Amino acid sequence: MATPTYDLLASTTLATAASSVTFSSIDQSYGDLIIIVNSLGSTTLEARIRLNSDSGSNYNFARMSGNGSSGTSAELASQTSGSLSVIADATTGEAILLKLELQDYTATDKHKSMLARANQSATGSEATALRWASTAAVTAIEILTSTGNWAIGGTFNLYGVAK
Amino acid sequence: MSFMLLGILNSQAAGGGAGAYDLLETTTLATSASSVTFTGLGSYSDYAHLQIRYVARNDYSTYPDWTILQFNSDTGANYKSHYIRGYGSIDAKVSSELRVGLTPGATSTANAFGVGVIDILDFGSTAKNTTTRTLSGLNIFNDPRIWLGGGLWVDTSAVTSITLDQSRASNFLSGSRFSLYGIKGA
Repeated sequence: MATPTYDLLASTTLATAASSVTFSSIDQSYGDLIIIVNSLGSTTLEARIRLNSDSGSNYNFARMSGNGSSGTSAELASQTSGSLSVIADATTGEAILLKLELQDYTATDKHKSMLARANQSATGSEATALRWASTAAVTAIEILTSTGNWAIGGTFNLYGVAK
Repeated sequence: MSFMLLGILNSQAAGGGAGAYDLLETTTLATSASSVTFTGLGSYSDYAHLQIRYVARNDYSTYPDWTILQFNSDTGANYKSHYIRGYGSIDAKVSSELRVGLTPGATSTANAFGVGVIDILDFGSTAKNTTTRTLSGLNIFNDPRIWLGGGLWVDTSAVTSITLDQSRASNFLSGSRFSLYGIKGA
């Protein structure tokens, strides 16, 4: 029999501007996690992620981007947080739409791999692959900014996908 | 200022009836396997689309290996895929295989796995060739990849089985997981 899945685990809408949003004590009974962010920034900012409050040099990513005229790619290793998107541009008045997929987050024999997709029609589209170089089960996720704040009204939703 | 949500609990995970997006099957490898196949998909006629979410690693000796799809045990030259990849540079490729991504091999960074989300659209149709779309990636030392792709099976048969294989005939390693989901239509 089919198993219902894709359950909303937590949701917040910012009543005050915040530099980060943290989901903690995450339910460990799912296979994958999905986070969807829709928020303006107080300034042009980069969306970043930390898992389990780890600020060590354990984050690696590769990204490709298109802005309407060209495609580019970047990759960086040994970062102190993972880069999810660089297209959040406060000057456009358009909220960034970011979807993050985190596979096998409870596994203790795998580094944690993530896929992120971000869109902002005024600035472009991106796809990013990330790896957190840790085999620890993920119990907390922080979505933070490189500078400035997520704006009032920003929404952050966490879903669990059964396996 | 930071905003923190404490004590997240799941109240919906266990049991209940089927919804619009349902887990159908999961294979987690206890030992290495050359391929993974989901069969009997005709029994999922309640669903319009299928999705596969995978976490995988292989034993190929030198490089990451391409993960490919085959439908209904068709090993003929009936597949095509286009994809764009980012790895510090960006390029676009076409293949006569239905490639959905790369998975790390034997010499890749330890404990690193490739991940992907594959949509198989209108899999029960007998009026259209079958098409897929993929977002996948891996991030290993000196060889990261982010991948966006589209795939085609030039056959109008309803999809009754899906095989995930490796292009270079490597094996998926133990711990690799492949989950199949059904998505309801109208």
